Amino acid sequence: MQIKNEKDFWAGLMFMGFGLAAMIIAVGPPAFLVAAWKSMGWGNPEYGYQMGTALRMGPAYFPTVLGGLLAILGLVVFLRGLLSKLPPETMKANMSFGILDFVVGVALFAGLGYGSKVLFKSGDYGMLAASVILAVLSFLFRPKTKPLILILACGMVFAYLLKPLGLVLATILLVFVAALGGHEYKTKEVAILAVLLSLFSVVVFVHGLTLPFPIWPAFLQ
Amino acid sequence: MEILSNLALGFGVALSPFNLLMCLVGVVLGTLIGVLPGVGPVATIAMLLPITFNLNPIGALIMLAGIYYGAQYGGSTTAILVNLPGESSSVVTCLDGYQMARRGRAGPALATAAIGSFFAGTISTLVVALFAPPLAEVALKFGPSEYFSLMVLGLVAATVLASGSLIKAIAMVLLGLLLGLVGTDVNSGVLRFAFGVSELADGIGFVVVAMGMFGLAEIIVNLEQTDQREVFTSKVGRLMPSKEDFKRMAPSILRGTALGSALGILPGGGALLSSFASYTVEKKVSKYSHEFGKGAIEGVAGPESANNAGAQTSFIPLLTLGIPGNAVMALMIGAMMIQGIAPGPQVMTERPQLFWGMIASMWVGNLMLVILNLPMIGLWIKLLTVPYRILYPAILVFMCIGVFSLSNNPFDVLIMAFFGVLGYICAKLACEPAPMILGFILGPLMEENLRRAMLLSRGDPLVFFQKPISATFLIISIVLLVVISLPALRSKREQAFAGEEQK
Repeated sequence: MQIKNEKDFWAGLMFMGFGLAAMIIAVGPPAFLVAAWKSMGWGNPEYGYQMGTALRMGPAYFPTVLGGLLAILGLVVFLRGLLSKLPPETMKANMSFGILDFVVGVALFAGLGYGSKVLFKSGDYGMLAASVILAVLSFLFRPKTKPLILILACGMVFAYLLKPLGLVLATILLVFVAALGGHEYKTKEVAILAVLLSLFSVVVFVHGLTLPFPIWPAFLQ
Repeated sequence: MEILSNLALGFGVALSPFNLLMCLVGVVLGTLIGVLPGVGPVATIAMLLPITFNLNPIGALIMLAGIYYGAQYGGSTTAILVNLPGESSSVVTCLDGYQMARRGRAGPALATAAIGSFFAGTISTLVVALFAPPLAEVALKFGPSEYFSLMVLGLVAATVLASGSLIKAIAMVLLGLLLGLVGTDVNSGVLRFAFGVSELADGIGFVVVAMGMFGLAEIIVNLEQTDQREVFTSKVGRLMPSKEDFKRMAPSILRGTALGSALGILPGGGALLSSFASYTVEKKVSKYSHEFGKGAIEGVAGPESANNAGAQTSFIPLLTLGIPGNAVMALMIGAMMIQGIAPGPQVMTERPQLFWGMIASMWVGNLMLVILNLPMIGLWIKLLTVPYRILYPAILVFMCIGVFSLSNNPFDVLIMAFFGVLGYICAKLACEPAPMILGFILGPLMEENLRRAMLLSRGDPLVFFQKPISATFLIISIVLLVVISLPALRSKREQAFAGEEQK
């Protein structure tokens, strides 16, 4: 079967995913999965919240109703994507990445985040590493995703390096990574902008608004 | 006359030197971000929220309100001179405003926008002052079932007024409601949807969601497109419109103001919807309808008045019911909560200075805006020559610092990035983020009122239809949904929003 309306097709899938996930997390997975889990000898899984009654609603009640409605609407949108009569060319989503790229990205963050939590007791290193790796991958293999990935990565780099490197260096890094995500990249211009912005943020945010940020790297102090 | 003494109280508050300064800061910032395409009031107010913590409540709210209506003034400048909507509500101003500029009438177009906005601002300030108190009094009698039904109406209205597919808009509302439930359930203390992450125990911060969905996603989408701008910076020419112009614009300004004031009050309404509706009306009513799209002054005067009127009257549901009609109002609720003020009908009686001070400041702010936007227009035009490649890194710096400072934790930036991806995907799949944001802010409120109402009615869901006010809200919601799904209207609605999607 051909996808007639890409936008509706993927939007429907997304809504169904969110709706079903909400229901499953709220009431717990279907009985056969729980049975399968137990049969593997992994013990009693912890899941779900209390449903309650219409009179005394438990924490699961409202999310289950919402999730169910969302899943149903998602199904309708999904079917519309398959059956739409509009010309398919006009309904292209024009996403800069494919579904496989998306899965790789999510797996990278989940894997490195979990790994660093186990190894270093904090997921931060994994998150930072995943952002940098993804940025490099996007730069090398998926130039179309540069705006998306580098704009997200610049925020992550800034956030995770602010405390160790201080506001000045973190801001300069942010500006450079962000600029790489744009169309034109002029090193000189970006360098001037980076210095000006870091100066401005130190004066306004640290001195003016007294935000508790370190200005210089921790190892210099 | 009670209203006069109330307004006098309000002006007393608004004219204090500090509040005047805050108002000026707000409208200058508002004009600035209005002029700059790609920075909206939602992202700006979200960025400034953490900073308002250090201000007094009145000053903070006056400033934030100034940003919203200031942006309506600034947005028209960009629309007229560059043919780009500086603000989403000035999309329709591009149609005729830019054409006027191409014919060498940029000056009168700018002046018309400012005059129309000022007139609309004055009238709608009065509308707020007149209608807010009686509404607040009615709202004081609301119980949980009335509140629940009112929120249903607000959400339905938001979906009906959203552009694009109705069913997707409803799905976005549901998604927003679900995301709003993340965190500790107030009734049972159970952690919901937190995945063992301790930072999620207090729920996802509204600012973080708004910055991701609107701020980040907007920058990413902008960077994916390459557009050529043609700026009429060199010659704005004479500002003053001719006598003939005044004659033609006056009725349009009146109609735009009336339409905008009415549509702004609706939950889900506000500046954007008002300007679209006004353009449609002007095109139908005008004697010069053949000139529309080629530089008709009515096409500037009507929508520009309407968007400013709508921006101001959208404060009515916020101030009287504590219910945000759009994303900006949701942020205002956030700002009130930061200051320890519970939004709702009691604000007017318990904090009259805040309530009337804010209303009075709107008029003061509008006066400042006329001065800022007419004699000083040259300054804003210069700003337009700053290329986007310089602007967006600066915006990103402010956004990241703002979000990080919320709790001094990189985790908030991570969540913002998550919503940046979601916002990008939604933009590509033609799912509107605005209804989602509204659902997100109303989610916990709705659940709480639903639970309370059901407890009071001993589990009988019919209670929502037995109380007259609540039943009225629900019936209006149902009628709205039915009417909008009728095939004839559906195609009309899609036409009305067609222009917006082309931008």
